[in-house]
Amino acid sequence: MERMTKFLAWLSAGILLLILVLMVQDIFVNSLRHFDFSFLSQDPLSGGRKGGIFPIIISTLLILGVCMIVIVPMGLGTALFLSEYSDEHPKVVHIVRKALEILSGVPSIVFGLFGNALFCVFLGFGFSIWSGGLTLAIMSMPLFIRTVEEGIRTIPKNYRLVPLSLGLGRTTTIRSIIIPYALPFVIVGGVLSIGRSLAETAALIFTSGYVDRMPESLSDSGRALSIHIYDLTMNVPGGDTNAYKTAMVLIVLIFITNGLFTIVLKTWYKKRIIL
Amino acid sequence: MIKFTIFIFVFALVTLSFPLNAKETIVITGSSTIAPTLLDLAKLYEAKNKGVRIDVQTGGSSRGVADVRKDLAKIGMVSRALKADEKDLHAFTFATDGIAIIVHKTNSVSELTKEQIVDIYKGSITNWKVLGGADQKIVVVNKAEGRSTLELFIGFFGLKNSQIKADIVIGDNEQGIKTVSTNKNSIGYVSIGTAEYNASVGVPLKLLNFQGKSAKVENIKNGTYPLTRELNLITKLKPSGSIEGFIKFVLSPESTHVIKDHFFVPAY
Repeated sequence: MERMTKFLAWLSAGILLLILVLMVQDIFVNSLRHFDFSFLSQDPLSGGRKGGIFPIIISTLLILGVCMIVIVPMGLGTALFLSEYSDEHPKVVHIVRKALEILSGVPSIVFGLFGNALFCVFLGFGFSIWSGGLTLAIMSMPLFIRTVEEGIRTIPKNYRLVPLSLGLGRTTTIRSIIIPYALPFVIVGGVLSIGRSLAETAALIFTSGYVDRMPESLSDSGRALSIHIYDLTMNVPGGDTNAYKTAMVLIVLIFITNGLFTIVLKTWYKKRIIL
Repeated sequence: MIKFTIFIFVFALVTLSFPLNAKETIVITGSSTIAPTLLDLAKLYEAKNKGVRIDVQTGGSSRGVADVRKDLAKIGMVSRALKADEKDLHAFTFATDGIAIIVHKTNSVSELTKEQIVDIYKGSITNWKVLGGADQKIVVVNKAEGRSTLELFIGFFGLKNSQIKADIVIGDNEQGIKTVSTNKNSIGYVSIGTAEYNASVGVPLKLLNFQGKSAKVENIKNGTYPLTRELNLITKLKPSGSIEGFIKFVLSPESTHVIKDHFFVPAY
């Protein structure tokens, strides 16, 4: 029985790993054959079949930037509210938590259409990096809040009791103890949100749009990497090679963000005594 | 330090929000079939007219019609003829696309009649032997609901989608080509330009003759190939100013090489 359990656990993990390896291998093999670094620095030509993806990388990073600027303060605030004020306002906290659960189950195309209706049309932002980033922020907010809140919940009880015994107010406790403690979880939540946002197509096609030229401002439309891949495979005959190359860039980008933040987290853990 | 960082952030956001030099922007939305072509045409036009920016968005032909009606877009892209209740809009046909019936390259059948295709898709003919091919079961590849290629196909053959006995249902042109080229006994239908391009780069495909006409871009041009659709630009009002300028540019001989590059047949 024990061996059976162990075998099944190993099998599941093995299959998962195999899927990832096969996928990454397929993409890398198919794109490295034609890869050239000028692909990263050129403008797309002929519907993306020729040229590179420079403006698309920039647009993607700008969309992610807008998303992060919104998500970090708002998500951290909500997580603090959920964890610190749950005793005083149990009803409100319950409603907010349910709302977040529902939000996290909504398909991304619904966020796309909502973002289009709210940001592009109602608020008049039009197809723009603003609209795309804000839509992504709404979409990945539940994931971010959940991660940060779980983190805050692991704070040992005496960390809250000590400042209380010293007569310090809640603001001081939150600012000097809770938030510094929560920062690594903010980073983890950020990485997860970036991962989800980078992979998003449906929420962006009607918000940040399809324009593959270099954005001149955040009010311009800009095409994200995932949309470029989708369009090249589905609408552009002969676009497959460049779709593979773009997919590789996207995967490398995800690897880089994950790696970078892991390093930041590790140095953080070394420096701090309380963690 | 923190205050300074916040200040820099806000400053950067505000400055980045406003474009450096205000230009007139034309928004175009609609058919995903047309969008890549228009994107290229827009770049060409922008290069010649510095004061104009053209933003091309997608979403499908019906969205193009809706956005133009609501004034969200100045120009719409529609990859079919306008319907009876859309005749209030101004349409400009700039190119034509045809549908090719495709089979695997090794298939010995090279021509089918209208009746035979109807029988295959209804499931009355299920073996290639009846049509003069090998003794193999026919694998019928159909398009998914809502695709304009499907609408055109069933409209032309007088079929209903519910009558079609499909073995495989596919989405886009490229997927159709991948399906048929990897299955020796299949039959499907895709955009002629796409099929011709793939056959020319060595994908094992055969474009069947239809009603005595070979499925070639050439035969769409001279109007003899029967299974075609028009690609349109639409506007709500009579175009004027730079909108008129752009439409004129798309309809001019200057744009033909771009349209051909995307495997469509220019109207001019």
